[in-house]
Amino acid sequence: MFPNARIPYGTWGSSYFPAWQTSALAEVNIGQFAGESMGRILGLRKVPKSELEYLIIGSTIPWHWKFWNAPLVASCMGHRIPGYHMEQACATGLQAALLAGAEVDSGSNDVVGVLTFDRTSDSPVGVFPERRAHERTQAIADVWDNFGFDPATGNAMITAAGITARKYKCERAETDEVAFLRYEQYFDAKKSGFLERVMVPLNVLNVQGRPLGRIDDDYGVRMVTMGGLRAMRELDTCVTGGGQTHASDGMSTLLVTSKEKAKELSPRPEIDIQFVAKTEARTHPSLMPEAPAFAVQKLLDKTGLTMADMAVVKNHNPFAVNDVIFSKLLDYDWRKLNNTGCPMVWGHPQGPTLTRVLIEALEEAVDLGGGHVLVFGCAAGDVGIASVFKVS
Amino acid sequence: MSKVMRESTLQTLGLGNVIDIFENGRTPADTAGLVDQVFGNAGNRGSLVISGANGIVGAGKTMQLGSRLEPFGVRVVGLDFPSAPDGIGQQYPGLVQAFGREGADRIMGNITRMSYDGVNLPAELKNLQPRFLLEAIPEILEIKRAHYKLFRDAFPGIEIRSVTSGFPSSELGVGIAHPAFPHEINKVWEIVEPEPSAVTQLLWSMGLIPLPVGDNWSFILDVLFCGVTLAGLRYHDSSNMPFWKIDKFTRKLLGPNPFRAHDAIGAKGADFLTWSCLHHLSETYGELFRPTAVLEERKETGQTWYPPNHFRPLVDWRLDAEADQEFRTWILGPMLQMTSLMLHEKRGHLSHLNAIGELCAQFRRGILAVIRDLGPDSVIATVEDYHRLYPDAKTGKSWYPAAFDAIETPDWQQLYVNAEHDGTVGVITINRETYNWDVDHELNRAIDWLKAEGIDRVIVTGDFHISTQMIGADTSDFFAALENFEEGHRITSGWPATARRLNDEFAVSVGFVNGKRCLGGMLELLIHCHYLVSVDDAQLGWPEVTLPVVPGMEACHWPFRKANPDHWPKLQDLLLNGRPTRASDAVGWLVDYAGPLDQAIQTAWKVAGGADHGLQQRAVEGGALKDVPTEVRDLPLPDSPGMETARGAIIECMKQTCALPLAEALEVQAKRSADFLASTTCREGQVGAEYTRTMSV
Repeated sequence: MFPNARIPYGTWGSSYFPAWQTSALAEVNIGQFAGESMGRILGLRKVPKSELEYLIIGSTIPWHWKFWNAPLVASCMGHRIPGYHMEQACATGLQAALLAGAEVDSGSNDVVGVLTFDRTSDSPVGVFPERRAHERTQAIADVWDNFGFDPATGNAMITAAGITARKYKCERAETDEVAFLRYEQYFDAKKSGFLERVMVPLNVLNVQGRPLGRIDDDYGVRMVTMGGLRAMRELDTCVTGGGQTHASDGMSTLLVTSKEKAKELSPRPEIDIQFVAKTEARTHPSLMPEAPAFAVQKLLDKTGLTMADMAVVKNHNPFAVNDVIFSKLLDYDWRKLNNTGCPMVWGHPQGPTLTRVLIEALEEAVDLGGGHVLVFGCAAGDVGIASVFKVS
Repeated sequence: MSKVMRESTLQTLGLGNVIDIFENGRTPADTAGLVDQVFGNAGNRGSLVISGANGIVGAGKTMQLGSRLEPFGVRVVGLDFPSAPDGIGQQYPGLVQAFGREGADRIMGNITRMSYDGVNLPAELKNLQPRFLLEAIPEILEIKRAHYKLFRDAFPGIEIRSVTSGFPSSELGVGIAHPAFPHEINKVWEIVEPEPSAVTQLLWSMGLIPLPVGDNWSFILDVLFCGVTLAGLRYHDSSNMPFWKIDKFTRKLLGPNPFRAHDAIGAKGADFLTWSCLHHLSETYGELFRPTAVLEERKETGQTWYPPNHFRPLVDWRLDAEADQEFRTWILGPMLQMTSLMLHEKRGHLSHLNAIGELCAQFRRGILAVIRDLGPDSVIATVEDYHRLYPDAKTGKSWYPAAFDAIETPDWQQLYVNAEHDGTVGVITINRETYNWDVDHELNRAIDWLKAEGIDRVIVTGDFHISTQMIGADTSDFFAALENFEEGHRITSGWPATARRLNDEFAVSVGFVNGKRCLGGMLELLIHCHYLVSVDDAQLGWPEVTLPVVPGMEACHWPFRKANPDHWPKLQDLLLNGRPTRASDAVGWLVDYAGPLDQAIQTAWKVAGGADHGLQQRAVEGGALKDVPTEVRDLPLPDSPGMETARGAIIECMKQTCALPLAEALEVQAKRSADFLASTTCREGQVGAEYTRTMSV
């Protein structure tokens, strides 16, 4: 897939994802923040922003001046280039990278920026004509309304997790074990310095130009104990506060370029990162946690690859249930997933979630000396998305 | 026959040395005579025409020159296209502020506004007898040349000067008088002409600062200003750092914030001018000056460099040590290389080259003072580092490392302070309005030179040219002292030690105030002279308490030792209120003589030369002073808590230092002043605020 497109190693970066309402990101126009941050990250990666020809942005939560989409965000970066906005709920972060691959592969542009972001904190309140309410018009907080209500099924996300857990007869003990391991993986990665290679601390200013806050950690994430997880109240089958993700804010960025440009822009031009394949699947109503496994199975069928071929496997897992079900369906030990952390632990800012998953996965693959990288996840609407990359 | 440490800057205007002023008992040129020369005698007086008078430069200069020429009956004609927006009318509020409504109306009433189509001059213009054209029309060579022809055909013999910032006189065919922004108030003009002319001397006599410079593509100011802008642009290209942040780091490093300045001047016009200067420089000197793609774009769009208010920056940028070093190379490298070119081309008196950056381009210290501190080896290494980052800068004829070979000569070593003598009396001139370490070191060298020349009579004064007033200490030199007592102590013991040399090492020393004010550290310096002579309307005082700081050059005890106890309350009032006094009101207790300029000059010369002057020297009491009041009554309420604290500290310093013999007082005042500089009160005051604004980037 996209034989002419590459992801130049080491030109990516992400903000940390502070939990909603825990940081200065609750105060900012996230589109502006993302644009300025991308300029900063590219600067730190020694990529002049003048190299960028096109920008694909992805976000799912409305933000002020969103109408002006990618060109405005590019202006905030200080580089007036065209581009567009896309969104696909929690698949946004991966889909945006794939669209950039298509853009480069088509020959339209040689250097395309992928910039995904969202602010769940103080999400905008929309006033909609609303037939659910007797008032006929309701003010609705975007993030919470969508978490709590899939209009196609009438169910909440968490309900879907419970329904799917029951379908696969998941055990609470196992999802607690998954959750515990995920926290251990995250904190081990943090301790090893791995996160510092992909995450960029960012200092946020107020309107007077004075420091408003420093985004230098995934605020709100604390190590858990197995005892603590077990003691948590079950919110639905196999779903507890410890075994599900939380809303957070942040941005994430990477570049997709031609082969030649990848060599030129990467600090390690000998590393080659290619797109291999991508699939999506949609399952039955309110069974979202199984959808990623179907997408991955489809991917394996299409490519002829097996899970044994994967050097790194990493997913967007809003619920520990997702990982358990994936293991059952693909016969793949969940202990081998998500070695450096995952959204269940570090949060769920929607748009950038899978972009961060992707760049962490690629960085890990480089550490391992290359190989196939499988990235997948679920998205609103009982959708699963999966993609394979090759690092060599 | 006088001898000079280095060439006087006045000499570049054809006005001799400063010592000549004292010897002759008057300034070397008078405005009335020069007005006659340039505009004709009173009965046949012609007018000044400013073309492009509604533009930023034209309107500003219409005000600056109009207000000065109106008393001499010189009519000012503001000429512009009929469609030009009214720039002159916009100046009226500022004029009222400066001259009062009546004065403003009088000045505006002396301005005749005329429209023309660019091809034909209005017939009525002839009636006003244009004698001098100051051209301020757009920077397009052919249009300018056609404009001069138009005027020369209509008014043969008319004096013409262009305000161009970029075109050399040799290309235009007229002299240059390039003024600095902001045009209403900035007194500096870069002058290009074969010999100092009556026009230039007239500018000087009206209190403006004409600085002769070489006839090159783009003059010194624009090489510095456009150069530092270009340096910032190249760093931007390399790092992605936004312009607002580059400005902050540049201000911390050197002083200017070039991108903000473009926006303040008006990005559309300023961007074009900067591009134009750099474009022509690059055509002549090569890639060092080549405008970047961003500037090429903005000269067309006029887009501001700072984001709009609703997009005030959100993400801050910091530099670690390595990145800071790289930033420094990107900014300093080209500035040092460009300066090498200007030195190689001998574009001007080194004091001019240095001062233009300070007076017109926001440099905290002139570029030559910066270079002198760095030393040639470091300068050359920085430029070579820059060439590694931007190899194109090596191409072309723009790098002259040999230009720094003369760094040990007096021309380089005395950028701010000069000394002259006639074999008997010496004159030390200071051309910087604020006192800093550069001035201190140079003053010591000037004293050493006079001593070595066997001179023990001296006048210390401004330079009658670049420095039109003496404001006090350069508070940016206090920045390090806010954090570090030792740094403060180095200042508060070092600077007064220099000042004491004026008292201790000369048989006669005379401080001479020739400008409109002498305040703070500069006044402390001059009161160390045996006599203080001043023009009568000069404002003298110690505003330190308002900053707040505690005076660090002995104002808390030295003037008390020279004054009768009856006058001590007046000194206390000066120190504790911070409000200045008129020199003529301070005779006998702070000043020894105050009078009109020529008489003051003559008096100073008599005193210094030992002629009969009739003044009684006020001796410095070397012992402890008794009964200096420690309770100061009837003080008005302080303006701020900081001022109240400073008052207490000044009173305490006064009490302690006056109670000691002179020999012991210096160390006590040094410690108390330095203590205050390192205090929370000082950090929360103006100095601290400036420090935070400049250095906490």
